[in-house]
Amino acid sequence: MKKNYITLFITLVCFYSKAQSIEFEKDNFPGKKEEMKAARKQLDVGIEFYMQGRREFDDFQKQFLSTNKHYPISNHDYRLSGIANFNDAIAPLNTAQAFNPKNARVNYILGFIGFVKDPNNPQTLTYMETSYQLNAKVEEDITYWLAWLYQLNSKWDQAIAKYNEFLTVKKCNAKEQEDITKKIAECTNGKNFSANPVRVFVDNLGPNINSYFPEYGPAITADEETITYTARRDNTTGGKKDDGDNKFFEDVYVSNKQGGKWQPAKLLSKNVNTESHDAVAGISSDGSKLFIYRDMAKDGGDVYETTLFGNDWEVPVKLNKNINTKYHENTVSLSFDGRQLYFISNKENGSLGGSDIYVCELDVKGEWGPAKNLGPEINTKYSEEGVFMHPDGKTMYFSSKGHNSMGGYDVYKSTFENGKWSKPENLGYPINGPDDDVFFVIAGSGYRGYFASAKQGGYGDQDIYKITFLGPEKQPMLNGQDQLIAAIASPVSNLKTETALEIKTAKLTILKGVITDAKNNQPLEASIDLVDNDRNQVIATFKSNSNSGKYLVTLPSGKNYGIAVKRDGYLFHSENFNLPDNADYQEFNKDVALKKIEVGSVIVLKNIFFDFDKATIRPESANELERLIKLLNDNPTIKIELGSHTDSKGSDEYNLKLSDNRSKSVVDYLIGKGISAARLVAKGYGETKPIDTNETDSGRQNNRRTEFKITEK
Amino acid sequence: MKNKLLLLALICCAYLNAQDTVKVATNLSPDQQAELDYNNGLAALTKKEFLPAVDLFTKCLAVKPTFDKALSNRAIAYVQLKNTDAAIADINAALKINASADTYFNKALIFMNLNKKDSQNVALDNCLKQNPNHAEANYYKGLSNYEVGDYDKAIDCYSKSISTNPNYVYAYNDRASAKRAKKDYPGAITDYEKAIIIDSKLTFVHNNLGSCYRLNKNYDKAVAAYTKALETDQNYLTALINRGAANFDNGKLPAAQNDFEAVLKKDPQNSFAYNNLASIAIKSKDYKKAKDLAGKAIDLDAKNGPAYYNRGIARQMLREEEASCADWKKAVELGLENAKLFVSTNCD
Repeated sequence: MKKNYITLFITLVCFYSKAQSIEFEKDNFPGKKEEMKAARKQLDVGIEFYMQGRREFDDFQKQFLSTNKHYPISNHDYRLSGIANFNDAIAPLNTAQAFNPKNARVNYILGFIGFVKDPNNPQTLTYMETSYQLNAKVEEDITYWLAWLYQLNSKWDQAIAKYNEFLTVKKCNAKEQEDITKKIAECTNGKNFSANPVRVFVDNLGPNINSYFPEYGPAITADEETITYTARRDNTTGGKKDDGDNKFFEDVYVSNKQGGKWQPAKLLSKNVNTESHDAVAGISSDGSKLFIYRDMAKDGGDVYETTLFGNDWEVPVKLNKNINTKYHENTVSLSFDGRQLYFISNKENGSLGGSDIYVCELDVKGEWGPAKNLGPEINTKYSEEGVFMHPDGKTMYFSSKGHNSMGGYDVYKSTFENGKWSKPENLGYPINGPDDDVFFVIAGSGYRGYFASAKQGGYGDQDIYKITFLGPEKQPMLNGQDQLIAAIASPVSNLKTETALEIKTAKLTILKGVITDAKNNQPLEASIDLVDNDRNQVIATFKSNSNSGKYLVTLPSGKNYGIAVKRDGYLFHSENFNLPDNADYQEFNKDVALKKIEVGSVIVLKNIFFDFDKATIRPESANELERLIKLLNDNPTIKIELGSHTDSKGSDEYNLKLSDNRSKSVVDYLIGKGISAARLVAKGYGETKPIDTNETDSGRQNNRRTEFKITEK
Repeated sequence: MKNKLLLLALICCAYLNAQDTVKVATNLSPDQQAELDYNNGLAALTKKEFLPAVDLFTKCLAVKPTFDKALSNRAIAYVQLKNTDAAIADINAALKINASADTYFNKALIFMNLNKKDSQNVALDNCLKQNPNHAEANYYKGLSNYEVGDYDKAIDCYSKSISTNPNYVYAYNDRASAKRAKKDYPGAITDYEKAIIIDSKLTFVHNNLGSCYRLNKNYDKAVAAYTKALETDQNYLTALINRGAANFDNGKLPAAQNDFEAVLKKDPQNSFAYNNLASIAIKSKDYKKAKDLAGKAIDLDAKNGPAYYNRGIARQMLREEEASCADWKKAVELGLENAKLFVSTNCD
């Protein structure tokens, strides 16, 4: 019994001697009077700077609360407020701390400054923990900042315990209660998501993309062949630094993939990159349009659009007032057909709180119409950021500080179906974590995503990373044998069935290729109409690159599409794609050689459809016929022969008659639309001129066609 | 392997259906001598002395050329001597004399040995026309349906066979297998258990029962059935491999490892055991070890699809993406449909 008391006494002595804060007083440092004095002086200097910084910090917090009606959600919300004074405080405080590491206050201050400046540095948490152990009452708010640091370090249980402790220590007002309640919920989310991590590979994109300087805001084309992003490097246009944070001004960089590898990134020309901030705000799926964020004076930050012409980008043009306001607009994302533009704005009018996601529709004049808030299913009372519309036409990725975040911004996915957005789904850990996770874009295939992070092991500051989704853990396959048939010992493998990947395959077709002149093979700039054959509507128009002739069109599944490639002086070229709703992600390469308008040129009108076994033109042929009419009107001297062909099914006589009637139907249609009959000849060829085999369905389909040939010019 | 076993099946059935012996008098007339030759031929056939059997049947037929039983039995001997033309000629001659169900059945077995499925089925149908309750013909008709995936018809045929011969243990086993193919695991288990009641020494039936329990996710019973199979034949490595797999499925990785390692002690060249050990390594996230073990399995059996599949998984996790895709593509080539998903979602 006596022995136990002694043990207890020794333990208590050790605890108190270990856990008690040691003040900067001479009695605590016998024989070190001068050193203590010097350390005390440094402490005073450090505290002076800290107090000035802290006042700025607290003022900012009050202002934030007043503006946003809630406390900051992310540590980045504090925007490094007080940082200049905090930076000045660090060196003297470090000297004092080195002399007396067991002072609660100096550890608290260093921990607090670390929270503002470098919260992910393990030393920051150590300072705050040490301070708390030395004197849990050194400052009233120490439990709060310690809890937040635990949260930022994914120590969920400890964070929850400290947040709860703070609620008991401090008599919180309603806003503070709301703040703590949210943060506890975030920690609970973090704990749950961390327990079931999403299986991904995270790869740094390497030195051709990343550098010692910050790189962020990636935007990729649907086929992952081109990446544009923002960087703050020493080769920035004009070579200047922003006084605000002493970093080089932002510029936009681009890299293309060759042989599966990213090539060294290039700075875009001065058309895009000015001497001030120029950041990537988004890119179209085909990479032909780039959106730039610029922070000009008094406009709160706006978005500009530039188009790739040949090898260079044109001078960016500011998006209209339906998008850009006096408030802050930044990331934008175009829908696959270019008819909707999703963007972020922190404007007050129509906001549900903080920055929200809005959408504009292209009007009949080709202008962006009024902005519409996406509503409470997507937007929360907290901020949303980094919107990205997947080229499948219905899946949106965005970041939000609301919903079931783990802290700060988390990336979510929502799908537009049956006229409404689905409940946003947190992409989970480790894509998301307790810090801000924002500006996440995903490839057309849906198997890879790109984002920026300042995680350790990079080339310096923020780098661009690729996430490869692995889906659920792949189950190994065992060998086994059974002798199922008694009379015939027939070994069969006893295979274990693999479950499907959780990541759904994007229901998307990417059509890309090069448009050239059929005679000289030179690349051509041409316009490409994308037609919804079911609705008989041109839903989007794209252009091939004037220098390379390259084009890329994304076609979400579930529709029957036609495309028409056109250029003045050339015959148009049409193609038809029927993509059922279950069509998986696929890429088609379709190079198109346009033929000049000259006698003898023949093209197949692939988007003229007839009723089965009849000569009645189906309504979905209207767009193709309109193109033909325009061609004839634009070239009033040309005369054409319209030839119709069948496959070999049915008798020769029947096929000849059917084709003759079909060609006459087309000619009659054209005459009805005002084309002179003298310019048109109808000719039915039946099955006499096949261009493919009649042995297969696809061959027969190719043989059933309507062609026109220029006979006079 | 399959051909050898077919041959074995043919011999077994041939003995079952070899034409009856003839009673012979003491003072032998030519006809009686012919009958004695027939009996001696049958005895030689039973002792697998096929050449003497052919000679004796031929002597008999020289005296009694329309003796259908001698023709039929000589046909069986010819089959064993791989003289199939002579066998078919004899069997057709026998059928001309007497179109009996058993002769048709023997003809079916000859075509089965020649892997002529259509002719085999015609002969079986003819047999069943003569005797719809012919247990063996119904059994093989069931087998024929099983092989083309018509499990309902197979079950029906096996049931007819069983109704004629309630102790037809093979028919129970095969009907169970057909039910298993239809995912009727309880029905399959019942039939396998009936087969075991009839003959508890049939190792492969215990093994099949274990696999059925495994498919039904009843791993403890699966392990018990495989253990029973090993008790009837301790060298039946198939059951040891399967028991390891059941332990693996049940999350008992150390027990599974013991089983696979026990297989390798008895058969160090066992590709399956190496691949299954690779599966354990994958589960344990030891991808380097998994890659090596699956590689060893492939070295031993270049057609081991699951080993390519597993090595692909290990290589992916080791960030050898191109190599992992090559492995999965090989697995697809070897008929593993599951690997297609990996190729389409992980490989450019």
